[in-house]
Amino acid sequence: MLASVSSLVQTNKRLDTDANIDPRSFEFKKNKFGKPEILWQSDESSMEWPLHFNISHTSSLIACGIAMDTPIGIDVEEKKRKTVKSILSLARRYFTPSEVDYLAKISDSDAQQKEFIKLWTLKEAYVKALGRGFSGAPFNRFSIQLETNSRIQISKAAKVCNDSASGCDYLSENWRFALAELNSSYYMSVCIEDNSRGFENDSVPLGLKVWKTIPFIEDTLVSGTDAVKLIT
Amino acid sequence: MAAIAGSASASFARPVKAVNVSSVSIAGLRKDNVSFRLQPVPQRFTVVCAAKKETVDRVCDIVKKQLVLPEGTEVSGASKFTDLGADSLDTVEIVMGLEEAFKITVEESSAQSIATVEDAAELIDNLVSAK
Repeated sequence: MLASVSSLVQTNKRLDTDANIDPRSFEFKKNKFGKPEILWQSDESSMEWPLHFNISHTSSLIACGIAMDTPIGIDVEEKKRKTVKSILSLARRYFTPSEVDYLAKISDSDAQQKEFIKLWTLKEAYVKALGRGFSGAPFNRFSIQLETNSRIQISKAAKVCNDSASGCDYLSENWRFALAELNSSYYMSVCIEDNSRGFENDSVPLGLKVWKTIPFIEDTLVSGTDAVKLIT
Repeated sequence: MAAIAGSASASFARPVKAVNVSSVSIAGLRKDNVSFRLQPVPQRFTVVCAAKKETVDRVCDIVKKQLVLPEGTEVSGASKFTDLGADSLDTVEIVMGLEEAFKITVEESSAQSIATVEDAAELIDNLVSAK
């Protein structure tokens, strides 16, 4: 896996041209929870901010998210991924009550399944951005609010977190999300830390760029095309 | 793997401790000049042995159903979930299936340490016997 990260990072021309560093010099390590990270020697490089990355894959797609100076989490999933268990039973077991309510109100089963996958990838992206493993941010301790035409919000699940401190200690709410549809086949969620210093409205754009990469062969900028449809 | 658990499934010589030791010189160690008594103490460590075969078999069945594996794919105690192609969504469905089948609840922290079918079966056996 790290070999494939290395190849993805190396082929990212943005790093080469903007930063004057040789991506082949990257070394990797794992944090104490097992999250792969770049071993950053800040004094040696000419880049001011450390690079963060995160990887996700489905059966037919690998996604690598790269960010400067902020932890990043990414998750991709096939839009039409079917579950063996029913959507609502999965949501009741793993999601928060408000998320279950949101899904339960959707009468069309296809639409409900798609919203479940969106929520799933958003929650995964957050947990991966935090980098403390699944148990560092149990899914039922935080809620993601998905409203059309509105910024994706995250909040601690009030009842669970007030009743017991366990599992909520490391949950923070200052994170931003992007949700997009890739090639009409996948949902991709990206989560980065929110450094906008308390601005209520989404005035600072996320600046998400997406490249389709064939490692060592070709990079195509696809954000802004039909291949990447930002949902929010 | 050593774990502090309620059920003892391996037998070891019981650890003993010496109480009331007054000065004992090794050279002069004879039965009549030592004043400590040997007392058995409760076992403090238990090694949990391999999971029950029937648990492993049931876990294999549940995993096969969830992952819809190609005909002839072997699933055994040593099988790693990641090698079988299980991603995070598969894993939570498998955990849910195991909870329903065995009537247990698996905490996220325990689920995170499960890498193989055998790990899952051991965890299940522990949770079932702790009920």
